[in-house]
Amino acid sequence: MDASTRTRSSSKKPKYSRFTQQELPAWKPILTPKWVITSFVTIAILFTPAGLLCLWASEHVVEIVDRYDDECLPGTFSANPESYIQSKNTNKTCVRTLKVPRKMIAPIFIYYQLDNFYQNHRRYVKSRSDKQLRDPDDADETDDCKPIDHTIGDAPIVPCGLVAWSLFNDTYKFFKGNKVIDIDKKGIAWESDKKYKFGSDVYPKNFQKGALIGGGELDESKPLSEQEDLIVWMKNSALPTFRKLYGKINTDLEANETITVVIQNNYNTYVFGGEKKVALSTANWIGGKNDFFGITFLTVGGVCFLVAINFIVLYVLKPRPLGDPTHLSWNRNQGAQ
Amino acid sequence: MLPNSSQVRGWIMTSNRPSLPTPGSTGSDLSSSTSSNNSDNNQIPNLHSLQNSSSQLSIKSNSWRASVNFGSKGVSVADSEGFSISRREINDDDARLVYVNDPLKTNETFEFCGNSIRTGKYSVFTFLPRNLFEQFHRVAYMYFLIIAILNQLPQLAVFGRGASILPLASVLFVTAVKDAYEDWRRHKADKIENNRLSSVLVNDRFQHKRSKDIQVGEIVKVSADETIPCDIVVLSTSDPTGVAYVQTINLDGESNLKTRYAKQETLSKVPEKDVISGLIKCEKPNRNIYGFQANMEVDGKRVSLGPSNIILRGCVIKNTDWVVGVVVYAGRETKAMLNNSGAPSKRSRLETHMNREIILLSFFLVTLCIIVSACAGFWLKRHQDELDIMPFYRRKDYSKEQVENYNYYGLGMEIFFSFLMSVIVFQIMIPISLYISMELVRVGQAYFMIRDDKMFDAASNTKFQCRALNINEDLGQIKYVFSDKTGTLTENKMEFQFASISGVDYSGEKIEFYGEQGAYNIQVDGQVWRPKMKVQVDSKLLKLSKTRNDTKSSKEIYDFFLALAACNTIVPIVVNTSNPNEKLIDYQGESPDEQALVYAAAAYGFMLIERTSGHIVIDIQGERQRFNVLGMHEFDSDRKRMSVILGYPDSTVKVFVKGADTTMFKVIDESLNLSVVKSTENHLHSYSSIGLRTLVVGMRALSIAEFDTWQTSYEIASTALMGRAGLLRKVAINIENNLSLLGASAIEDRLQKGVPEAIESLRKAGIKVWVLTGDKQETAISIGYSSKLLTSKMMQIIINNNSKMSCKKSLEDALITSRKLINVTRASEDDESSVALIIDGTSLVYILDSELEEQLFELASKCAVVLCCRVAPLQKAGIVALIKNRTDDMTLAIGDGANDVSMIQMADVGVGISGQEGRQAVMASDFAMGQFRFLVPLMLVHGHWNYQRMAYMILYNFYRNALFVFILFWYVLYTGFTLTTSITEWSSVLYSVIYTAIPTIVVGILDKDLSRKSLMTYPQLYGSGQRKESYNAKLFWVTMVDTLWQSVVVFFIPLLAFWESDIDSSSLGDLWTLAVVFIVNIHLAMDVIRWTWISHASIWGSIIATCICVIVIDAIPALPGYWAIFNLASSGLFWICLLGILIASMIPRFIVKMFMQHCKPCDRQIAREAEKFQNAMEITRNGEIEMNLPHR
Repeated sequence: MDASTRTRSSSKKPKYSRFTQQELPAWKPILTPKWVITSFVTIAILFTPAGLLCLWASEHVVEIVDRYDDECLPGTFSANPESYIQSKNTNKTCVRTLKVPRKMIAPIFIYYQLDNFYQNHRRYVKSRSDKQLRDPDDADETDDCKPIDHTIGDAPIVPCGLVAWSLFNDTYKFFKGNKVIDIDKKGIAWESDKKYKFGSDVYPKNFQKGALIGGGELDESKPLSEQEDLIVWMKNSALPTFRKLYGKINTDLEANETITVVIQNNYNTYVFGGEKKVALSTANWIGGKNDFFGITFLTVGGVCFLVAINFIVLYVLKPRPLGDPTHLSWNRNQGAQ
Repeated sequence: MLPNSSQVRGWIMTSNRPSLPTPGSTGSDLSSSTSSNNSDNNQIPNLHSLQNSSSQLSIKSNSWRASVNFGSKGVSVADSEGFSISRREINDDDARLVYVNDPLKTNETFEFCGNSIRTGKYSVFTFLPRNLFEQFHRVAYMYFLIIAILNQLPQLAVFGRGASILPLASVLFVTAVKDAYEDWRRHKADKIENNRLSSVLVNDRFQHKRSKDIQVGEIVKVSADETIPCDIVVLSTSDPTGVAYVQTINLDGESNLKTRYAKQETLSKVPEKDVISGLIKCEKPNRNIYGFQANMEVDGKRVSLGPSNIILRGCVIKNTDWVVGVVVYAGRETKAMLNNSGAPSKRSRLETHMNREIILLSFFLVTLCIIVSACAGFWLKRHQDELDIMPFYRRKDYSKEQVENYNYYGLGMEIFFSFLMSVIVFQIMIPISLYISMELVRVGQAYFMIRDDKMFDAASNTKFQCRALNINEDLGQIKYVFSDKTGTLTENKMEFQFASISGVDYSGEKIEFYGEQGAYNIQVDGQVWRPKMKVQVDSKLLKLSKTRNDTKSSKEIYDFFLALAACNTIVPIVVNTSNPNEKLIDYQGESPDEQALVYAAAAYGFMLIERTSGHIVIDIQGERQRFNVLGMHEFDSDRKRMSVILGYPDSTVKVFVKGADTTMFKVIDESLNLSVVKSTENHLHSYSSIGLRTLVVGMRALSIAEFDTWQTSYEIASTALMGRAGLLRKVAINIENNLSLLGASAIEDRLQKGVPEAIESLRKAGIKVWVLTGDKQETAISIGYSSKLLTSKMMQIIINNNSKMSCKKSLEDALITSRKLINVTRASEDDESSVALIIDGTSLVYILDSELEEQLFELASKCAVVLCCRVAPLQKAGIVALIKNRTDDMTLAIGDGANDVSMIQMADVGVGISGQEGRQAVMASDFAMGQFRFLVPLMLVHGHWNYQRMAYMILYNFYRNALFVFILFWYVLYTGFTLTTSITEWSSVLYSVIYTAIPTIVVGILDKDLSRKSLMTYPQLYGSGQRKESYNAKLFWVTMVDTLWQSVVVFFIPLLAFWESDIDSSSLGDLWTLAVVFIVNIHLAMDVIRWTWISHASIWGSIIATCICVIVIDAIPALPGYWAIFNLASSGLFWICLLGILIASMIPRFIVKMFMQHCKPCDRQIAREAEKFQNAMEITRNGEIEMNLPHR
């Protein structure tokens, strides 16, 4: 009939292409026992040494941590630490001695560590004005900073907000015997922050002039971009237990040396039950001292090794030829009857 | 279908021409009803009882009651509705009054709508409000909106303005652009349609007018091959007898010509000269394209109008020079526009189940929020005394004169705020974007289904159609297939096979006329005219038919073929061929059976060459003879026969009747020749037992007195205004009696290509195939055998009863037998022999909607095959409902005719065959295709793929969003329960928009778990969908446990690694962001089965895009995390962390997956392995299903 001619003239037949027929060339990986075992063994082989390497690296990091918030509290105030810390008249100086367990090679990083301080608390995180920090013309951009936005006289506080207000203000001095160890306070903040987030022409104004003092004060003659302690502090930490860089020591410390730390214990963590620690640490590629990775990697490697063995046993004891039709459900049922 | 309510032949008396009724005037009605009923083969035995059942059914379910009206063409129930309507006069209140050629008057009283159409939904001004209104009808969008609004409250502002509105805005924007584009296209089409010019009578002259300016009441003139601009009542045509041929392909897809008639009262008027005035009273606009009720007052006379007097918008005039008509319905009130509605929307099974899990997820969400708010409450309570000056809380505000609380509303309110805030933060626990992704994926899947060249039907040049876009995945879970027979399993291309004439069976050897010369032809003016279709003829009968002598048998053969050539409504149309000396006669008619009979008659030398209003011309063995058609009683489903009264050239008058054997033998005078009747009955039985459709032909000579009586009563009946159809039926019954039997014809409706193989495949796939047919039992069973539905090993249970009691008894007996047999089968381990149930419509009348239903269900579910014969359309739906309401199994109905509409709409998935019987079934269906055998690739291949893809995608989306929420949740526990997120708000917004959206959509559209070849070769693989292997509650919980583990790994590895370190919040947030995106994409990558370049691009592309986004976000100095990623990436710890997270989070999943793959491999897994390592299975074996090889 005329079907053929019609088809030829105006056929709606879909044009053949590998795409429309869903026949694009494809890689169809199937994980055969060989592959399964290989992958588990590979992970085991990679992770076990990696774990050991991490442990080794972590072992080479020398770290000295000293909690001083309780020790530096004079016994007479132990029942009432807040009055001690809030008073202007009490002696805040506190001397701690630390022993260097192993040789520490410069640079040695000095951190202060706070526990139970929620720098990621919603109220806290939002209470800052990045605009104001960057640009002197935006000094009035203090909407997010409430209640620490303006003085009672309605002048804007620079830098405003809880974050800046609660600036950490303990200070440390390190002595080797009677010799002062120099602390390098330069370059503790991110370059990017100094350049772009904190203006070099923004100067602190009306800072810590309120009824309640939250923490450290700022030198009003130095622009914010040079106030590295503030910049470090204002980089909100992710977790409620955190360290922040205080400075660097650029000389090596020998093993078994005793160093003295003179602490000005100003910062009030007693109000919320927080802890304060000072930490000295060297650093290598793994960062600070951290056994966690080594252990994790070793665990993963070990588990994979065990799994690989199990699979080998399984494949040997209960082999199943790939694509064996007898295992198809309809064949199985027939066999069972 | 209104059976001929319109043919008032008042002009038989008024006209001075010979009183010859127009044959076609009955023709159009007759043929449409025959055509629609030919699938039922005129076999519905007891209309009234069926109607009872259908009305009961309709009470039960209104939803598809309505659908029956929708597809009421020729449905027997609608037929009977038609009777009642025709008896009813049009009430003035319900009528529309159209003053012919007086649009002003017509339109002054009632505001009829003009002819401009608007399929576009919006205008420039209404677009925004209306589109937004429509979009917000979705629950998903409301959820987005409420969350966004909550976030705008200052106390709850978790995200910034921009970030909180972005997801909603982007979704709204994408949808709006899509809607606007679609609407723009509609507007464009409307504009073309509205500006089309047509000829309208203005001031007694035909002038060109734009289509949109046409008004009701105006007179329009349409020329050949033009499209009708609105619904018009024909006034006159170029044909002196007032016939017009129209093609309705745009309306119902039927390509053959239909005839429409002008009324005698108007056809002689020339609009430009004669004043035409009149009043048409017609029904209100409705969507029934096969019905029209009206009457027209013209020149003081009242004539009634029916469906054959109206031409609907969208039809094309053919073979007629011009048609003049008066506009009755215009614009959106035209029947074509009223029918212009989309397919009904269904919700897929998978989506229903998914919604159940979404409710679970919202419980999770609420639980998380309660935990957070309770903890926040405890924390505040414990630190109550310290809050005032706590450096990170500072409740007291000392900046004012008076010290007061700052932003603190009391413990209760703070807890409440924390709850709301946590809802905002954890909002994506409910994967709202999933709905949008699913829509995109379905569009993609539909794209591939439509473009599958293995579902393209070359014979009818039709592509697969995806009409419903939301149930693609249901195709992979079907358990029951309900199939129509005629036109679905068979081609519905009738071929005359055998004849039994006067008790002699002519089923001997066939001669095939394939040569050019062999076919019967006649010479007309030096040209050769041949019938278009060639028919195989019986050599003996051919010889006999050619010999003209006065022997009895020769006369009987003559009468038999004359009856075949004359007793029908076929219109011969002469078609030119490439050879100028050769013309083809194309027999146009709506009943394929009649076409086959006329072609057969032509092959034996009785060639119908002309049919005009009052006569037919038949070329009998080279000799032209003209017969007057004095009257015609069209087919109706009560009588199941039609008759024509022929006036011979020698002025004798004979009535020829043709009809179904059941009703024909009642009106045949058996006393005339009992042995002939007996042997014909035997022949009929043998014909139908090999699956042939049979018709019986009878005849009687009328005496003058008889003819006169008939003519009088015929005139009275056909001019009656009340109950015309009933009267006409009575007249017909009076004349159709005491017939002498001429013979019987057997027509083959051949099985479609590949049907037995397709049924075999479906059966192997664990799908039960039920055939529901209007045919009689013998035919149904024989088709059952030839389509391999029934096998000789099967035991048949036949239920064929006439009362409720006997039905009950046979059901009980059948149940006992089937139970026994199934036990035997089990013992003998032979799954080939099983039970087949054959039940007929009469029994179903007593069973459906009674307490017996339960027993039928029990019996049917034990049977491998169920064949229902002689069922009415509504019973088909009732049977589907029987299964659908009692089981959780998915049903699919496939059919091609209007009688399948109710069944198609009832079933979970409706498939229409776009075949010979018009487009009603297709219009009601969810998917439409050209051939039954495409069901196999549709379900076994595409259905399987779609189900696997969609199921995986849903689970994956749950996982993906929950993982992110869990990570946020863990972090909240370390922030004093204050809902801070270390992941930047932009990253959390972009997470489901950019970071992870595309791979899941790509995998949902493109991934294939198995190749087409495996799926076709092993239909059993389809079972995974039926068993819900890829999406179930267990998988959901396993996924959630895995999610929990992964979230713990992602969160706590960095937490422990960076505890007591100087890491800042943004850096840790970036680490978490990258880790979660890597993991989520690697997780997906582990489950991708086929890696095409697109999957590679999307998965690795997403990871790269995420990195780029994170870098870009951290390069904006205004954001708190400025430069964090660069500092982070320079530390070794970050990379170690990332590696550790990736491996540790994936290991449990990998172990479980590998273990299950080895020890409990699913069928799909084995088949996949076999596909790759062809050693074990002989996969190269050709699939049993006939496949069109892709041409390259």
